[in-house]
Amino acid sequence: MIEVVLNDRLGKKVRVKCNEDDTIGDLKKLVAAQTGTRSDKIRIQKWYNVYKDHITLKDYEIHDGMGLELYYN
Amino acid sequence: MANRTDPAAKSIRGTNPQNLVEKILRSKIYQNTYWKEQCFGLTAETLVDKAMELDHLGGTHGGNRKPTPFMCLVMKMLQIQPEKEIVIEFIKNDDYKYVRILGAFYLRLTGTDVDVYRYLEPLYNDYRKLRQKLPEGKFSLTHVDEVIDELLTKDYSCDIALPRIKKRWTLETLGSLEPRRSVLEDDFEEEEEKEENDQLDGLEEEAHEKDYYRGRSPARERDRDRRRDRDRYRERDYDRDYDRDYDRERGRGRDRDRDRERDRDRDRDRDRDRDRDRYRLRDEKDYGRDRERDREWEGRERERRDRDRGRRRSHSRSRSRSKDRKDREGGEHRKRHARSSTSPRRRDGAEENGTREEPKKKKERKEKKEDGTDHPDPEIAEANRLRASLGLKPLK
Repeated sequence: MIEVVLNDRLGKKVRVKCNEDDTIGDLKKLVAAQTGTRSDKIRIQKWYNVYKDHITLKDYEIHDGMGLELYYN
Repeated sequence: MANRTDPAAKSIRGTNPQNLVEKILRSKIYQNTYWKEQCFGLTAETLVDKAMELDHLGGTHGGNRKPTPFMCLVMKMLQIQPEKEIVIEFIKNDDYKYVRILGAFYLRLTGTDVDVYRYLEPLYNDYRKLRQKLPEGKFSLTHVDEVIDELLTKDYSCDIALPRIKKRWTLETLGSLEPRRSVLEDDFEEEEEKEENDQLDGLEEEAHEKDYYRGRSPARERDRDRRRDRDRYRERDYDRDYDRDYDRERGRGRDRDRDRERDRDRDRDRDRDRDRDRYRLRDEKDYGRDRERDREWEGRERERRDRDRGRRRSHSRSRSRSKDRKDREGGEHRKRHARSSTSPRRRDGAEENGTREEPKKKKERKEKKEDGTDHPDPEIAEANRLRASLGLKPLK
């Protein structure tokens, strides 16, 4: 179980607990549940790499405590 | 300048009509090449030509959320705000289904509640196929009546949040609308009569499954139809019987015989394997099924017990009763979780194999593993509950 921090630099900073084998799509659902936006409106990036929905966190090498950028579609 | 709303346009729901589409999507549409090239200076007439060229509907797709031409045309309609007669013409036209859907979508966004129901419900009878672009970029098959159903029941479609409209029964009670008459109503009545007769002959189970299959076979599986069928059927006869039997079941009077019959023939194999897996997630009224299954198991356990003639007979009976109670209470709560309906089953299996102490331990351990919501740490338990509601596995 890892904890990921998502920040949208506009005041929304969210800590989400998830498994390493969850996909980005699952992570978006969890974030949507916490922030209140819809999960398909959320975009998770790291610098200019937009993370795709079907790939797991483990494959993206996202570790515990790592920060990701939260953007909106 | 090209993106300004027509100054003569009325405000919709208190705001500029283009604001019905939210900011991010609006900017995406303005930057889109289709919008810039084709939608410049369109009027109501030329819009029709463009609409006839549509070949798919959808919201945004791809990594950078590119809007579809359908979206651009919806936006254009919001910008120029054609008159109601024109929109109704769009909907009434039979030749071009995408023009119809475009008109229906626009009416859903801008029309009054009564208008929406009045003009969109006839489109339920249109069964033509449509091509829909999914957010991943692939195409999927859908139908006109499915899209209309989505427009009327959901509050989000094609990446646009649909404005809230009053529910149909509110308008019916107000008298603004008449109660809905479905075109399939006559067919339903025939089927119901036929099944009532079957049921009186004592073939409850089959009729129930036939009901279920009937809900699936015409054209396509629709949750709406299935739920309606099942609810209608169940509410009338099924629940009444079950409630009556359920109360009497404590004494286990006549149910034992019925259980044995059902056990032997079909339910053991059919119900358990097929029903459990397939209907588990979709059944809203799982309650009836859970109870039925529990009673099956009790019947079987009773048989085995009688055969063994052990001294444990009284113990197991009390055990099964208490477990049954827990299942019943837990069943209500657990039916909402995707995987939980397997746990009573597995618990029963484990118990019957081992001694009394082992099953108790196994049961506790299994409870912790299965749900994840009884984790000692309350934060994690809550996280697991959220995950279960989203359909994800619990945290490791």
